[in-house]
Amino acid sequence: MVNRMVQQQRLDEVFAALSDATRRDVLVRLGDGPATIGQLAEPYGITLTGMTKHVRVLEDAGLVVTEKVGRARQCRLGAERLDDAMSWIGFYQRLWERRLDGLEAFFTLQRGRADEAARRTRPEGPTP
Amino acid sequence: MTTDATDLELRAQRVLPATPDEVFDAYTDAEKQRAWFAILDTEPGIVEIEVDLRVGGQQTAVWGPSRDELFRETQTFLEIDRPHRLVTDSVGSSPDGATMATRVVVTFEAVDGGTLMSVVQSGFPTPEIRDFFAEHAWEGAFDRIGAYLTRA
Repeated sequence: MVNRMVQQQRLDEVFAALSDATRRDVLVRLGDGPATIGQLAEPYGITLTGMTKHVRVLEDAGLVVTEKVGRARQCRLGAERLDDAMSWIGFYQRLWERRLDGLEAFFTLQRGRADEAARRTRPEGPTP
Repeated sequence: MTTDATDLELRAQRVLPATPDEVFDAYTDAEKQRAWFAILDTEPGIVEIEVDLRVGGQQTAVWGPSRDELFRETQTFLEIDRPHRLVTDSVGSSPDGATMATRVVVTFEAVDGGTLMSVVQSGFPTPEIRDFFAEHAWEGAFDRIGAYLTRA
């Protein structure tokens, strides 16, 4: 139960981290490979401090992992948590797909049986 | 299509070859659900469904390939307008114990060829996140089910 609450809280952190356009861009950029905070900050014309804050939010949410390389801080994707968040959208898409497919197959099968029964009771009857 | 800035909706639709009464009953009856929920499964798995169809009552569906990998969805009925409309609060749980609470509105509309069943599920976090998933992570998934799902 505690574990479940912790996971829910982490998921909230993920969604909060993804609610900012700059942070989503950073994730897309890191999808191409690791980068330093300086390299991440450059295209936005924001300060190192500003980008460091964004990276920290992503890091707290588990979306990004950082490590000190020389004097710079290297960032890369920590994709595990992102998979958690994404899996909810996928979970429900698969669930509805399964339900609608199942219902369609159920009624198609039922209708097929009814047609067959009708054919058996009226073998000489006109076919529509 | 209405989507407010803080909300995300999933939409799914299908025309089913039956009357709205038949679709509504098949969708809500526990025994019928057990029949159609697993009808296309090629591997035997676990499917358990319990339904208490009244406002305030709950429907619980538990399914998965094995006891260790069970998904669970508990829906609480908020509105029951047979055979037109069903509104529930849904809580989904994955095998790792994570949960997601959403609102589900299902409508059943008589159309040429049967019944149009429409699902609108809301309460997922922000459209930006949905778009992020769509653009960068879920291209394949969205493509595969594109015929069934109309995105917001």
